[in-house]
Amino acid sequence: MDAIDQAAGLLEGDALHALRRRRPEFVGGAEACRAAVLHPRSEHGLGRNLRAALACRIARLNADDELTSEYQTILQNLAPSQELLMLAEGGGLTIEPLATIARHVDLVTLTATEAQADHIRRLEAAGLTNPQIVALSELIAFANFQTRVVAGLRLLRSV
Amino acid sequence: MSVKSVRLKPLTWHPHIAPVSLEEATAEQLEAMKVTPSAKKVSDYVRTLAHDPESYVARTVLFNAIMYAEGGLPRLDRELGALSASIVNGCRYCAVVHARQHSSLTKSDDVVTALYLQQPENLPQREQAIDSFARNLSYTPSKATNEDMTALRAVGLGDAEILDLIHAIAIFGWANRLMHVLGYSSPAA
Repeated sequence: MDAIDQAAGLLEGDALHALRRRRPEFVGGAEACRAAVLHPRSEHGLGRNLRAALACRIARLNADDELTSEYQTILQNLAPSQELLMLAEGGGLTIEPLATIARHVDLVTLTATEAQADHIRRLEAAGLTNPQIVALSELIAFANFQTRVVAGLRLLRSV
Repeated sequence: MSVKSVRLKPLTWHPHIAPVSLEEATAEQLEAMKVTPSAKKVSDYVRTLAHDPESYVARTVLFNAIMYAEGGLPRLDRELGALSASIVNGCRYCAVVHARQHSSLTKSDDVVTALYLQQPENLPQREQAIDSFARNLSYTPSKATNEDMTALRAVGLGDAEILDLIHAIAIFGWANRLMHVLGYSSPAA
């Protein structure tokens, strides 16, 4: 059972659990991606606890209680600061660069269509390097991929 | 059929940040950039994502599996899922790429025309069901419903095909958030 099974409520022996395994490259690929954005070998200065907090925030914006809870648990085990807990809970922050990162995460998750060059300039102004901007983008994008797979699987199971 | 038909011209993508230069790339970045098949000239897109080679490699492997894995949902329907998702996510570049793929695979602009003129009622039933599900699943939070799933089943999609479709839509929830956020597009020269 992987993170997607857990969030979608699929148990070993379920038809849909077995169906997922008929596409091993999707299952293994999603797990490899999850590792690459949540606990990569090269963190580029974006720690595991920050990454877990952001994934939690994105799951929450997607109204996915199970994924939110999965990431909350991961975060709790990484000795999070008060700021990271607030970030995970969806609150606004006042300290930089977390405040700018939080606004960017919300924008790209909720209204990706409105993103413009200026939003990248704001990340730069908050001190993010190019590798950090790309790593953050991949993390946001992965978490939004994962919520859609899970939402789709839940519907497929129920109808 | 509709009187006018939409035929889209290709776009070029330009990054908002400086891409990795091949001269300054690390060994890991050079290795990562080889993952794409057309290796002679590395695109700006690949060089931009190579700033984080680890996630780039992992995502490319998954993306290629989802879009090109054999069997299951026909490639055409995966392209439609990608296109409808890209429209909701506002990624003009991805939308044009996958609209053109769809037109090329079907040798027809009819489906693309209906989508670009916002006339989903002109789509055949199968395409209507796929488009509607793809759009609804792409919103944050998802607006996809049991009715969407029922409609997919009614046009003949089985569990395995729907699983492929879910992944094609979801991977564009990812790809669109890279291409549209990290750059912009203009008409190709």
